[in-house]
Amino acid sequence: MIPDRVVELLHGPTWIQIGTRDEALRPAHALVVGAMVHDDRRTVTIFVPAARSERLLRNLRENGRVALGLALASHEAYQLKGTYVSSRPTDDAERTRQEARRAALLADALKAGYPPAIARPLVLGLAYTPGVAITFRAEEVFLQTPGPGAGTLLS
Amino acid sequence: MGILPDEIKPAMQGVIPSHVVTCSRDGTPNASAISQVYYVDPDHVALSHQFFNKTKRNIEENPRAAVWVISPETFEAWDLELEFVRSDTSGPIFDVMEMQIEAIASMVGMKGIFKLRAADIFRVIAVTKAVGERIPLAEIPGPR
Amino acid sequence: MTVDPRDPSGLREQIAENQQAIDRLNRDLARKSNEVQIIQQISSEITSTLDLDEVLGIVLRAMDRVLGFAHSMILLKDLADDVLRVAATRGYADQGGGAQVGMGEGVIGVVGERRKMMRIGNIGASMRYLKSVRARMEASGQVGPVGPTAALPGLADAQSQLALPLTVKDRLVGVLAVESRTPNAFDELDEVLLRIVGNQAATAIDNARTYQMVEQLGRLKRFFSPQLAELIIRGGADDPLKTHRREVTVVFLDLRGFTAFAETSEPEELMGVLHEYHAEMGRLILAYEGTLERFTGDGMMIFFNDPLPMPDAAERAVRMAVAMRERAVELASRWHRRGYELDLGIGIAKGFATIGAIGFEGRWDYGAIGTVTNLAARLCGEAKPGQILISPRLLPEVEQFLEVEEAGLLAVKGLARPVKALNIVRLRHPA
Repeated sequence: MIPDRVVELLHGPTWIQIGTRDEALRPAHALVVGAMVHDDRRTVTIFVPAARSERLLRNLRENGRVALGLALASHEAYQLKGTYVSSRPTDDAERTRQEARRAALLADALKAGYPPAIARPLVLGLAYTPGVAITFRAEEVFLQTPGPGAGTLLS
Repeated sequence: MGILPDEIKPAMQGVIPSHVVTCSRDGTPNASAISQVYYVDPDHVALSHQFFNKTKRNIEENPRAAVWVISPETFEAWDLELEFVRSDTSGPIFDVMEMQIEAIASMVGMKGIFKLRAADIFRVIAVTKAVGERIPLAEIPGPR
Repeated sequence: MTVDPRDPSGLREQIAENQQAIDRLNRDLARKSNEVQIIQQISSEITSTLDLDEVLGIVLRAMDRVLGFAHSMILLKDLADDVLRVAATRGYADQGGGAQVGMGEGVIGVVGERRKMMRIGNIGASMRYLKSVRARMEASGQVGPVGPTAALPGLADAQSQLALPLTVKDRLVGVLAVESRTPNAFDELDEVLLRIVGNQAATAIDNARTYQMVEQLGRLKRFFSPQLAELIIRGGADDPLKTHRREVTVVFLDLRGFTAFAETSEPEELMGVLHEYHAEMGRLILAYEGTLERFTGDGMMIFFNDPLPMPDAAERAVRMAVAMRERAVELASRWHRRGYELDLGIGIAKGFATIGAIGFEGRWDYGAIGTVTNLAARLCGEAKPGQILISPRLLPEVEQFLEVEEAGLLAVKGLARPVKALNIVRLRHPA
């Protein structure tokens, strides 16, 4: 259901953010430091720093609505919308994977033209531990790269 | 009044992209990246509107937005809670944003093609430093 | 700012906040008094000179030493075109002099066009963003391949720029720009400081430029008619007094019988006749827009197609000569009644000449040198009273409205073969 390219990006050096809202429709944002697509290619688990998870989880438990925005440094971008399933603390394996992902993110930022003086602190400053793993089911996938076609429903 | 601290200004220069989350009237959030959040005054910011998109559509239904910005100097991040005030298609704020876009567009061969449609002005309801999602700059290993 | 005396920690916090506010105010005050110093320093320096290059140098030096802007430049709006030309730079390996920026091109061009200051600190990030949008638009066929991008003066990898329009009474004099390789290099206070310097600079530059123009106008007016002088100034670019080569049509005329007359007349009478002659001939030169090169009492040399190009130079020369002859005939009959035998002889030739200022400091002439001047002088010398002798080279451009007759062969210094001289009998269709 989730297109190959989006799966690739979710596992790759992407800037990911999660959007939720509360009972009064007030939006909230949190940075996501890693993601994993399940074999059914519909369920996604994302990782956020525990320190940022309180409001996020409160919203998710209240209404379950999730929007996940992801973008490469080259501005290629997508958005997933779906419903919350569950959450739990991250485990060691996941944390190790995030470390590697952070390194890939830095390489990608440098390649895209970010000066090292900015790319390094920006990427290496991403805190991922202790972390929370949040699982949701994706229902819609949109193209979000700026320019023509932005907003197109992909699946 | 005046809730935006001076130290947030570098975060509003568009050096590092920002994020914005909005929500439609039917309760579906929308999360996207934006190239720059513009500082207007200690109580207001502006987003540039070039292509018509879901963010804009949501704002028209539900004026609340959550914006995340990060400083390219201190690498501290802030969460802003915003409320849409109005959309400018002229005036001093629009002019400042339009001039920047014109200058850059002319430098990449897109003179006249890429235009600013509107400057969307938001009131800042709350601003908080995003604690816990970043390792403090001093603790980041390696050369700078 | 209410403080609850029952809450000492709250009180401490309040005091700390107040101290921070005081520190901030002190910093602002220090910077402000620094500003005042800057204004005074720059102000006195730039108003003390009317030399344009000096003014520009002072401003850019102040940019660097006092305000810490390492890379700066001043562009001046061209008088004739809508173009900004680099007039002075500081902090660049290549001086970039003469480089130009069109209105609307890049930060400097947009500032010049909109007449508003602009500060930008994310040039790299913005360009990357727009380039990727562009790529998508190209891929989807919405736009063609990349259009021309202006080659802009300055740092190739600038991340921050701050540019200010220099205006005097709504008129754009130029643009003052600073840039840096660091993102976010400039802030609001830099804007304020730049504005202060810019206002001073705008006036000083405008004054210096006006002075420069007036000086040049004064110089040119010695050689050309006021209208011509002004035309040259407004045209901007080339200084006609700089040596150059051009194909010109040269007219030589002299007053016959003048030498004999001079010997037998009173000085007052002499000057009177000369005055009348010069006035009449001078009026015709102005009417046909010729350039008077030489004035030797009874003789004159006039040429066409310099300093202003004229496609009909030969025609003008010929028509002017014919008009002069007619006028001279009228004058001659009047002088004859008073007992003087004075007649005009004219020679016209066409060819390349080297033209420029000849002479020395304090005594310059606008001179033309070449075989063409020799030929015109020879033709004039050979002309009998009332004759206008022209070289055959002019024929293609003028024969359709002239009636000519052959007037002999002339050996001329500098020419291998003798020249057939032709006398203008009359205009075929009077102008």
